[in-house]
Amino acid sequence: MNTNDKLINDLAPQKFGKLGVIWTSTLIVIIIIGIIAYIDQVIKGQVVTNMRDYALWGIYISNFVFFVATSFVGSVTVAILRLTNNTWRTPLVRIAEIITLAAITMAGITIMLDMGRPDRLIYLFIYARLQSPITWDVIIIPSFLVISFLLLYFPLLPDLAILKDHFKEKNPVLSKWYGKLSLNWRGSDKQKALQAKSIKIIALMIIPLSLILQTIDAWLFSTTYRIGWDSTNFGGYFIAGAFVAGLGALVTIIYIVRRVYKLEDYITEFHFDKIGKLLVLACLTYLYFNINEYLLPAYTASVDEATHLNTLFSGSYAIPFWTVTIGGIILPIIILLFKKGRKPLPMFIIGLIVVLSSWWKRYIIVTPTLLHPFLPIQGVPESWRHYFPSLHEWAITTATLAMALLIITLLVRFLPIIPIQRTADEQELLKTTKTIEP
Amino acid sequence: MKKHLNFHPIFIAFVSVALLGASFQNLYAQKAKNTVRLKAKYVKIMDGEIYFDIAAAAKVGKQNLDVSHVDIYAYNEVNDEEIELGKTTTNAKGESKFVLPNLNALKPDSTNTYTVNFSFKGNDTLKKASKSLSFKNADIKAKIITKDSINYISATLIDTDSTSPLTKTILNIQVNRLFKSLPIGDEYNYTDENGTIFVPIEEGIPGVDGILTLEVVLKESNDYGTVKAFVKAPVGVPSVEESTFDERTMWSPRNKTPWFLLIYPNILIFITWGLFVYLIINLFKISKS
Repeated sequence: MNTNDKLINDLAPQKFGKLGVIWTSTLIVIIIIGIIAYIDQVIKGQVVTNMRDYALWGIYISNFVFFVATSFVGSVTVAILRLTNNTWRTPLVRIAEIITLAAITMAGITIMLDMGRPDRLIYLFIYARLQSPITWDVIIIPSFLVISFLLLYFPLLPDLAILKDHFKEKNPVLSKWYGKLSLNWRGSDKQKALQAKSIKIIALMIIPLSLILQTIDAWLFSTTYRIGWDSTNFGGYFIAGAFVAGLGALVTIIYIVRRVYKLEDYITEFHFDKIGKLLVLACLTYLYFNINEYLLPAYTASVDEATHLNTLFSGSYAIPFWTVTIGGIILPIIILLFKKGRKPLPMFIIGLIVVLSSWWKRYIIVTPTLLHPFLPIQGVPESWRHYFPSLHEWAITTATLAMALLIITLLVRFLPIIPIQRTADEQELLKTTKTIEP
Repeated sequence: MKKHLNFHPIFIAFVSVALLGASFQNLYAQKAKNTVRLKAKYVKIMDGEIYFDIAAAAKVGKQNLDVSHVDIYAYNEVNDEEIELGKTTTNAKGESKFVLPNLNALKPDSTNTYTVNFSFKGNDTLKKASKSLSFKNADIKAKIITKDSINYISATLIDTDSTSPLTKTILNIQVNRLFKSLPIGDEYNYTDENGTIFVPIEEGIPGVDGILTLEVVLKESNDYGTVKAFVKAPVGVPSVEESTFDERTMWSPRNKTPWFLLIYPNILIFITWGLFVYLIINLFKISKS
């Protein structure tokens, strides 16, 4: 086997092993349970959730914010690293693009789950009011979905053409599909020029679009007068948070994919080291915004603000608050500052903690504020003053997370996880024309 | 099996007594009626309507519940004679308003005291109840006086029948507002020997076109009930309407979106989606080249 074949063999999609089948089946079962719970929610109404007049946004919205935040990884690793000529990004970009597409797709679906009348979804477009941040969200999410798809698809074209040839004899059906999706890619100069120009436009577009997406997501909250949300810091705070959440997800998935597909030769310790440094930078930025978000209000707190902050610092939400702050921000900074901390396994553990903390961080942002409304409601049952998701909410939310993982799993199954053509070009081993042309 | 069914006679007797007791209790419960309590207030508006505010409540268990949708009959009691005035029905909150066409509809007794009795005749679940109310007729005459550029409200309280002033009686002065009247002047304004009070009106109280509706209230007097007099006068500051209803604001409906919000986001959307179309066209170009 020559070097070219080895590269293609290593990086071409591989069939699921036993573990892959179990993993995919488990995800499908979780999704089915979630769909059943959702159908029940549609039939009975949102009374099956624990959202009431106080906590009128709950786990669905915090989960939505988490997905939106995670989708930021595409612009960080692909666009920013590309525009700053960081060539070490190559083996990581495809996974980042896949995570971005999966996360933004699920963000769009998750927001619909929170609708009491999903059959009226079209009203969001028909009766859109540009003054409402909800409308801004309705505009930006489909836009970001399109750019995320294009971000994944354009760089894939040469790889799809390679896979078409690779699977010609092994799996003709798959080869046919790769052929169709490769859009007759032959690696001609015209095609290459069009592709390069398009990718450049996408890389330039996705940065402002993802900044707008994260900011609008923050403005959904900060355009209200609610304590804990009414903050001019929120836009930057959400962008920094998304930086952390996205990189956490990337580190976690890269580690798993590297182990499962045995890609140690392509995703090396050097890459983990680099991405670890980037994660430290993200966490330091996020820490700065967190200090702004909590410390300054603590100095100048009004009575209501103090009540809210006490709930977080030492009250009923103190344990999750300090867990996500220490686990999701401070611990990664300390560990990843050391070279040993940036080895694959410690990075994976840190990445996992960051992802979990990022999810709970959104819960902490959404729920406690709602339990301290701007105008207290009178005559409300005591149980409405507290919120913890119901079984339906957990089942549906877990299903959305499983759905995101399933999208990632299927894309990893059928697409080359590491760009073959680009890796070949970088290694100067393979020229597209030589490989593709008969 | 037979042995299992062979109950002890004492046990059977005990069960029988318990069952009988429960049955009697049930029968008793069906016949028990709840006591109803009626409340009534007499209100006279000068140059306006005269009415009674009635409220019916019943104590059921440890709870006071409003008695809704029941008929309350009104009678004028004069010298052991009862003259039916009419009936009224309580609303969902157990409240009702019984309006008199005028005070001449009532006959006073020899002391010029009017007595009205409100009666609920009872039903299957509620006992009958009644409430008697006695009052005399009083008038409030109010006017605005300006002295040394200061506006005052002057009000005189008199017993209508004897035309004698009512002295050392508290009258409340307030300005009519949207939700709740705004008290002005001292907390307690006692009438003088002429039955009169004299209260300065604060400057700067806003009103539509500067017109204020001032209220003089004799509140729930034991002898005279509640008597109110209203005076409208241009003694306030004209309120400036700050409505942005016709303007394009961030809080107006979609047909009144601010221009900047229509123009700039739409330009951004147009550019973004224009580039998407361009990129998709590039995909077609790639496939054709």
